[in-house]
Amino acid sequence: MNKVLAIQTDAADPVFAALGDATRRAIVKLVAQGPQSVSSLAAALNVTLTAISQHLRVLQTCGILQTRKVGRVRVCELDGHGLDVLAQWVAVNRRMWEQRFDALDAILQEDAKEK
Amino acid sequence: MAQSAQFDTFTMERTFAAPLARVFQAFSDPHEKKRWFAEGAEHEIEQYDMQFEVGGRELARYRFKPGTPFAGVALESDGYFLDIVPQHRLVAAATMAMGGRRFSASLHTFEFFSDESDSTRLIFTHQAMYGDGADGPALRRIGWQVLLDQLHATLGVK
Repeated sequence: MNKVLAIQTDAADPVFAALGDATRRAIVKLVAQGPQSVSSLAAALNVTLTAISQHLRVLQTCGILQTRKVGRVRVCELDGHGLDVLAQWVAVNRRMWEQRFDALDAILQEDAKEK
Repeated sequence: MAQSAQFDTFTMERTFAAPLARVFQAFSDPHEKKRWFAEGAEHEIEQYDMQFEVGGRELARYRFKPGTPFAGVALESDGYFLDIVPQHRLVAAATMAMGGRRFSASLHTFEFFSDESDSTRLIFTHQAMYGDGADGPALRRIGWQVLLDQLHATLGVK
């Protein structure tokens, strides 16, 4: 849990609480691929509109998602304020370099075996 | 509209069970470097060229594979070697672009230490400027992917 807490100490608790639920994690995964209408979320996850709305309220309160009206459709998208996007990208960068050094390590061990 | 630049520095230290000359070769030989630097399960390498000399260019162009969260998106890293002190230090500067848009410029310093004859300690310092696009939708998606991965790992959920 430390990594996530380090990234967003003050906002971590409500985010964890919100993502502790499987349906809400599924919603975030879908919305992370692009904005979704509330009804398409309900259909994709096979739950009622009422249930989706309750989940969305929780995700909105902690700044993970936001919704807006497009005509008569309520569209749901990621809320950039919920997390420090830059900190996330730095984490991606770190992970990328860690993977590279793991790969280098594997290559070096490989030719140690060949000897 | 241009965003103001943001900065981040991180350092990594790794010890490899190989002599310094061997480790340094993995940085100076383009074929070897491509294997650990450019190859990855999630992307195709469209181009990888490296000229290992001061002022030499290191250009890597990737495209994320179908079925990955960023399928079809192009990622490019374009850098130059600023300093090469064989078996001692490497300094490179590079920009990164996603979908043709540069979003970061960074200085990479690799310091090599031979504490014992059969092992090599590497200290890598990554100093970066994140500019326009560093808060863009593609990176935001990556950020969320990382968060969810971390969450899954820490909570042990699928």
